[in-house]
Amino acid sequence: MEKPITWDITLDIARRDLLDLWRSKMLLFFFVLFPILLMSMFGYMYPPMQKFNANTGTIGTAFPNLPVSLVQMDDGRAANAVAAQFIQISRQQGLFIVSETASYQAARNQLVEGKLKGIIIIPQGFSDALAAGQPATVQVTVDETNPTTASVVQSEISAIFNIIGSSMSTQNINNMDGGRVSPAFIMHPISVTGIPLISGVASSFQFLAPGFMALTVITGSLQGVAAALSREKEQGTMDGLLVSPIPHVSIILGKVMAQTVRGLIQGFLILGLSMLLFGVQIYGSPFIMFVVLLLGTASFVGVGIIMTAIAPDQETAQMMTMILQFPMMFISGIMFPIDQLPGWMQLIGKALPLYYAADALRKVIILNASLAAIMPDVLILIVYTFLTMTAAIPLFESAMRR
Amino acid sequence: MMALRRDGTTSTISGYAIETHGLTKSFNSFTAVDHVDLTVHKGEIYGFLGPNGAGKTTAIRILCTLLLPTSGTATVDGYDVVHQANEVRKRIGLVSEKLIMYPRLTALENLTFFGKLYRIDRNTLQKKSEELLEMIKLTPFKDKLVGGFSSGMKQRINVIRAILHDPDILFLDEPTTGLDPQSTRFVRDLVKELKQRGHTIVLTTHIMEEADELSDRVCIIDHGRIMAVDTPQALKDRYNTNSLLDVFLELTGRELRDSANERISMRAPMGRM
Repeated sequence: MEKPITWDITLDIARRDLLDLWRSKMLLFFFVLFPILLMSMFGYMYPPMQKFNANTGTIGTAFPNLPVSLVQMDDGRAANAVAAQFIQISRQQGLFIVSETASYQAARNQLVEGKLKGIIIIPQGFSDALAAGQPATVQVTVDETNPTTASVVQSEISAIFNIIGSSMSTQNINNMDGGRVSPAFIMHPISVTGIPLISGVASSFQFLAPGFMALTVITGSLQGVAAALSREKEQGTMDGLLVSPIPHVSIILGKVMAQTVRGLIQGFLILGLSMLLFGVQIYGSPFIMFVVLLLGTASFVGVGIIMTAIAPDQETAQMMTMILQFPMMFISGIMFPIDQLPGWMQLIGKALPLYYAADALRKVIILNASLAAIMPDVLILIVYTFLTMTAAIPLFESAMRR
Repeated sequence: MMALRRDGTTSTISGYAIETHGLTKSFNSFTAVDHVDLTVHKGEIYGFLGPNGAGKTTAIRILCTLLLPTSGTATVDGYDVVHQANEVRKRIGLVSEKLIMYPRLTALENLTFFGKLYRIDRNTLQKKSEELLEMIKLTPFKDKLVGGFSSGMKQRINVIRAILHDPDILFLDEPTTGLDPQSTRFVRDLVKELKQRGHTIVLTTHIMEEADELSDRVCIIDHGRIMAVDTPQALKDRYNTNSLLDVFLELTGRELRDSANERISMRAPMGRM
């Protein structure tokens, strides 16, 4: 009895929805502001990460110029030289601002007050030990109230002393052997060198941007469809559509189309911004990106329709989509690697289509993956689309004529 | 008996615009429409009256194919509202309690949008829209956003939105609620004008003078059941009064009707009773 989908009317419905957005200048403003805000926030939260480079001796840091204090208890020549080197490297590489404190207790008090992030103690007997041909020890206390900063400070201090230690070893070996053997051979007979997966990645943000793009497009259209359908239901205009002789699928598809366009606009805004502000580069085909995003949207939009069909009003529908969408941000491997989650959470994360969309998009953008390479992801998304849509359309139909 | 129509569809032959038999709609344990048998003649204005919650809107929504009946049958223009919903939809227009208008579209854009749903060709639609806008004296506002209109203006355009496709049967659910006296007068005259043009009209209202003035026949419904159907004059004669309000109160009682079915108001915001 129902006619097949009437595309011109579907397009009309989609066009009207977009016109609605276009004419509400305030809504449009926030529509554009959202991805900008999201991007800037996360972009600056994940700053450029340089890795330690043993050849050049650069350490690199995400937390530059942290305040630390040096407590020098040994007045020997070697101790003074090491302290001077530590201060110099810290300043040169912008790692620490180093102050000097007379006693450990005084430094500890400052750390407790929050004025210091770490204390380096050169204990008595440091110079004597070195002079006697024994290894010497430096002691370190870090502000353990913040585990992240603590581990960064700890490892950076160790890295600096590694550099200092290496140059001492080099000198010692040269003194002992007169340059017959390479000092590096004695110190590091085996070294590890990385070959970058892609060259020129300046920022870990390169890995985050595709995830955010998928997240925005998919959750945007999920929430958008639920909101658009329930808003019309509440306003009463839905009656005007339902009472006319058009197939109900046209109404759904029109809404989905409009929200997908909106989602894609936001997604590409995010991509554009990450390229402009954070140097993200696209290595893959924009066409495949587009396909992945479309599939990602299609895979989940049915859930939005199901929620509208179940929810009695717009507010409830919105609440329901929020509850779905919020955990999805954290367990679909967008912000944190999925391997970091406990097993059961990984299972849930991998049961959600966002994981596959983000995964595929990341492979395309960063690794220049072909459609064939991401086929498993694509197939899963297609299955998802099929399952959710076959559940959603009849449910919507019956909900509308309940 | 079935008849083959010119457009190739088959429908029940009946002299009535609307006919229902044992029409019933229950929401869980609550029966909103209870075995209603009614007939609406072609070309008449049928006043559908009843206290809040009597079942008027539910009945109208079933006739408009927006709700499925729990049991019983209903035909509109000879077509079954359940099995031939699409044929019914082509032949009806609906003015419901809530405006069917997009606030961020202009008057003309709204008419065009809804007109296209009925596959009216572009030129006819344009001509028809302009003509109807002229009739409701809103031509100067045709390119203004409907969101900025007064309630009266919105309702006038809402009414012509419902008749763009020349429906045989027009459902007007409280079309004058919340309007000022001028707009009320205008809408009532519009209803008479539409009858002149040959539309069958089902009208609900809580204003008894309005029902008296406009209706050829009125149907008073309460608790989902029909209490009386006749011409306003015959009803007044029967109860020996000159006011339809007295008839109404005589039939439906004077106490206030406060009832709430929580489950329904939560689950079916569209299916108002």
